[in-house]
Amino acid sequence: MSASVAVGRGPSIAHDRVLLGVAVFIASESVFFLAIVLAYLAYRDAGLATAKANLDIPRTAIFSIALFSSSATMALAARHGSRSWLVATIALGAVFLAGQGSEYARLLASGIGPGRELFGTTFFTLTGLHGVHVLGGLVALFALLAAHIRRRSALRPVAFEAVGLYWHFVDAVWVVVFSVVYLGTLL
Amino acid sequence: MTALPLWVRRPSGERVGWLRTVDHKEIGVLYIGMGVAFFAIGGLEALLLRAQLATPESRLVDPSTYDQAFTVHGVTMILLAVVPLLVGFANYLVPLMIGAPDVAYPRLNALSFWLSLVGGIVLYFSFLAGGAPDTGWFSYAPLAERSFAPGLGVDYYIVGLAVNGAGTIIGAINLTVTILLMRCPGMAISRVPLFVWMTLVTSILILGAYPALTAALVMLFVDRQLGGHFFDPAGGGQVVLWQHLFWFFGHPEVYIMVLPAMGMISEIIPVFSGKPIFGYRFVAGSSVAIAFLSFGVWAHHMFAVGLGDTENAIFAATSMLIAVPTGVKIFNWIATMVGGRIRLTTAMLFAVGFIAMFVIGGLSGVSLAVVPIDLAVTDSYYVVAHLHYVLFGGTMLGIFAGAYYWFPKMTGRLLDEGLGKLHFWATFAGFNLTFLPQHWLGAVGMPRRVFTYAASTGWGPLNLVSTIGAAILAVAMVIFAVNLVRSLRSGEVAGDDPWDGFTLEWATSSPPPAENFPTIPAVTGRRPLWDRKHPDQRDRA
Amino acid sequence: MQAYPPIVRPPAEAIGTLALIVGAIALLIFIGVEGALIYAVWRYRASRSSTEQPARFERNTRVEIAWTALPALVLALVFVLMLGAMAEIGGAGVEPGLRVRVVGHQWWWEFGYGAVTTANELHIPVETAVELDLTSTDVIHSFWVPELGGKSDMLPGTTNHLRLFARRAGVYEGQCSEFCGIEHAWMRIRVVAESQADFDRWLAAQGQSAAARGGDGERIFLANICVNCHTIRGTTAAGAAGPDLTHAGARATLGAGVLPNDVARMRAWIADPQQYKPGALMPRVPLSDPELDALAAYLVSLK
Ligand code: HEA
Ligand code: HEA
Ligand code: HEC
Ligand code: CUA
Ligand SMILES: [Cu+2]
Repeated sequence: MSASVAVGRGPSIAHDRVLLGVAVFIASESVFFLAIVLAYLAYRDAGLATAKANLDIPRTAIFSIALFSSSATMALAARHGSRSWLVATIALGAVFLAGQGSEYARLLASGIGPGRELFGTTFFTLTGLHGVHVLGGLVALFALLAAHIRRRSALRPVAFEAVGLYWHFVDAVWVVVFSVVYLGTLL
Repeated sequence: MTALPLWVRRPSGERVGWLRTVDHKEIGVLYIGMGVAFFAIGGLEALLLRAQLATPESRLVDPSTYDQAFTVHGVTMILLAVVPLLVGFANYLVPLMIGAPDVAYPRLNALSFWLSLVGGIVLYFSFLAGGAPDTGWFSYAPLAERSFAPGLGVDYYIVGLAVNGAGTIIGAINLTVTILLMRCPGMAISRVPLFVWMTLVTSILILGAYPALTAALVMLFVDRQLGGHFFDPAGGGQVVLWQHLFWFFGHPEVYIMVLPAMGMISEIIPVFSGKPIFGYRFVAGSSVAIAFLSFGVWAHHMFAVGLGDTENAIFAATSMLIAVPTGVKIFNWIATMVGGRIRLTTAMLFAVGFIAMFVIGGLSGVSLAVVPIDLAVTDSYYVVAHLHYVLFGGTMLGIFAGAYYWFPKMTGRLLDEGLGKLHFWATFAGFNLTFLPQHWLGAVGMPRRVFTYAASTGWGPLNLVSTIGAAILAVAMVIFAVNLVRSLRSGEVAGDDPWDGFTLEWATSSPPPAENFPTIPAVTGRRPLWDRKHPDQRDRA
Repeated sequence: MQAYPPIVRPPAEAIGTLALIVGAIALLIFIGVEGALIYAVWRYRASRSSTEQPARFERNTRVEIAWTALPALVLALVFVLMLGAMAEIGGAGVEPGLRVRVVGHQWWWEFGYGAVTTANELHIPVETAVELDLTSTDVIHSFWVPELGGKSDMLPGTTNHLRLFARRAGVYEGQCSEFCGIEHAWMRIRVVAESQADFDRWLAAQGQSAAARGGDGERIFLANICVNCHTIRGTTAAGAAGPDLTHAGARATLGAGVLPNDVARMRAWIADPQQYKPGALMPRVPLSDPELDALAAYLVSLK
């Protein structure tokens, strides 16, 4: 399998049904996140003080790096049709989610939940929706892994490309969310 | 008599498994069936509204029932009747028209349908669970917040619409990819039938608009179930945020509901005029212009909110601008008829009726885009009149035209023309009687969404006329139902090409075989079947 | 108070004129388009031209440009007219002669003239520019009296402004026009436009506290939960959840228009408001017949 895919020349979005479908889906999802991010920004000022006092930037930055590097491992997995890079991607995604989980636990323990001020409402909605998308991505990655184990040679390279495209999107959304929510408190 | 081909057997003789089918034609029929069923339900709800309003200070239904009825009527008609009907036609016709064996993702297609249906069922389940939503189809906050709507109705609204919307979004992805990648050889994008063009534009509108609704629904859900404050002024939230998000979806939604119908009549008018469509590029291009503009007009639903004169003026300008590409379509349709040989079949009658009625709704729409006029009549029956002229007078008449035109393809049988003409004229009379008077009612002060009105207002007589019109409309719909059932059982056999059509769906059998075409057709112009029938007079395009 | 300069028209008239012009333009377009449509269908119907072959023309860029540009020009004209009217109804720099605070409640209106608070019946002097400061305590409402001006939504947490102007004395009716819940239909507005002198007299009367009557009605009112929700200035009743009743007898209707105001109807309303306005936020208070009689008589006497 890995040999059959030429380096840097995957199926193209403009001609492949699956890739185009994922691309169109991502475009639509972007509008969804845009709406939520705009709502976050609309209420940013009201929640800024709470955000500054409670968000742990360095810690989240480390978990973010896990997610960002999972984009690289995903690219490698797609390029080589490689199972181990796939596993690495899943692991990094899971680390990110665990980080989010512990961040939530910490905030909830200090009394900040979705019902606590506008900050809680917007923060948990935005990061929660992103988290759900990461979870969805992980499910897709698992399915890909399972398919890869079951029928190693029959799997079309486009499956990697498609899941990868989605994973990069989830990653890109986090770039925006991290900037707006976390780095935004530094402004 | 052969068995009913449509719902019992496939052309191959095998039984249709409705629950498991992934054939685009059968899914199209499922969508259409869903739309018809919900149209009947939504229509019955409308009759309840009209019955209550027939006389002043009537006590036929209590206010809470009335509020649920208009909320569910609006949601049903828009999301569970009209959109599924249009998506159903698109599902059935697009692959046939572009010479493809199926849609891009047949299994996902089935998923879309079932999600859309389940969303509708969830919404209706609220009736059994203590009360339907009663906050209006656009469910403004803070009325829809838990403090003012403590029941579960709004929660069913949220979940129902989100699930239904997910189905619609997946369907739009499917149609977009199908149209972009599955056209048969020679079918350049500048040659696809206009119905396909408008389906493509509609799909893109869905992809851009529906996510805003989903986002708004999620926020409302957070507010209601997790104690959030998105739309809660006491917690610092802003109630207009909901309106911005909703109408960012809501306005494109109205074009989602009219463009495919415009696509239908763009197929029907040329065939029954015996001429190619006039100004193909302009009819197609104007759809793109409409789509583009329709993302920039949402605040015309919010002129009375107090956004400020400058904002209002900008949104008024963009709204008026939409009349320009829409007018281009109207003029091209009329120009298509000019010089033709017009066969006034029922399908053509409905298509002409579409133009005639849509112009009225469009003109009232433009008057609403004029801020001071809107401030006078917004939230009144004038708006109710406008929306029914475009949605019933436009979209529904277009769908009826499409039904008479494509029913023979889908079932192999013709609808009865005599009953069809009766259906048309009864609809025409009933429709205008119902909704024309509402313009006056709105102008003299009758707000919408009132379960009754004081006798002293003098609004009684016109409301009575409107109710009588609705009764006639109901008779018209029964005539249509009779026609459908009769034709399914014993309609005249249609043959493959009963109308002397132009496009590829008429080049295969009625109903088409599972793979649509025995051999993939090759196309050299915009009217492939015409070219085949008249090799000496081929289209140049 | 300063009168509206005669060059500026009442908002309702400005809107009316604009609607007339736009309506005329729309009518012309309607006649043109429907005329062309009917003519085309009639002239080119198959039964008439059965021998003719259909024409084959299918494009003409010049014609397309013409029917793109022409509507655009018409709309540009409408837009310019619209801007003029918008400036006019917004007040166009004219100072209002009277300012009234309007607060929407589910399902009644609170009107405030400085320190004077009243409900459901808005009094304004004629020939005076009146500016309403509109807000809401609960959901969104919308103020609309068609003969006096346009409408404006009333949002919780925000104040909007609306100009009214009445040329002639009289009673103008309107009602809430944003769906605000179960009794949205019975959230009616009565505007009484009167001469400046009458208005001043009315306002002075409204400013008075209710003189202590010491009768049964007053005693029953003050002894019941009525006081939790209603204010009668001059007594200990200072609730704010319902309409101010200091001059309840001076108003023409009860329950924001659902009943005319007289002793019998007042008694019926207090006995069971839910029968007349199901869902209204005033509960049925259990009272005996004599208590109801006394209460109704007392409230109607509060002129
Ligand atoms: C199919 C659905 C559909 C369509 C096509 C339209 C078309 C238009 N609508 Fe409508 N509209 C609705 C469905 C639709 N609408 C609904 C459902 C609501 C109410 C929602 C709710 O509150 O519940 C609504 C409400 C609504 C409002 C808000 C009213 C209010 O609540 O206060 C406004 C305001 O601008 C508006 C404007 C327009 C305009 C400018 C068009 C234009 O696109 C019309 C363009 C068409 C023409 C103008 C006719 C043809 C053109 C010519 C012949 C050319 C020459 C014409 C001129 C020069 C003018 N619409
Ligand atoms: C496509 C959309 C659509 C359609 C087709 C209709 C169709 C009709 N509508 Fe509706 N309407 C809306 C969309 C639509 N409506 C919307 C969006 C609102 C706003 C809601 C809100 O404010 O939230 C609204 C609101 C609305 C109101 C205002 C309510 C209010 O503000 O208080 C009224 C009142 O007259 C009304 C009437 C009607 C009538 C009489 C029909 C008729 O055309 C219906 C004709 C159909 C029938 C009469 C059905 C016939 C069926 C049978 C006879 C059964 C046969 C049985 C079987 C086959 C099993 N509608
Ligand atoms: C829980 C609050 C509450 C209590 C208790 C209450 N009311 Fe009310 N009352 C209201 C509200 C709210 C309205 C406005 C109803 C509407 O029009 O929707 C109202 C309206 C009225 C009106 C009509 C006012 C007008 O101008 O339209 C009268 C009179 C009245 N109440 C008298 C009474 C009396 C007498 C009692 C005690 C026996 C009483 N109310 C108890 C809340 C209350
Ligand atoms: Cu208040 Cu409607
Ligand atoms: Cu709109």
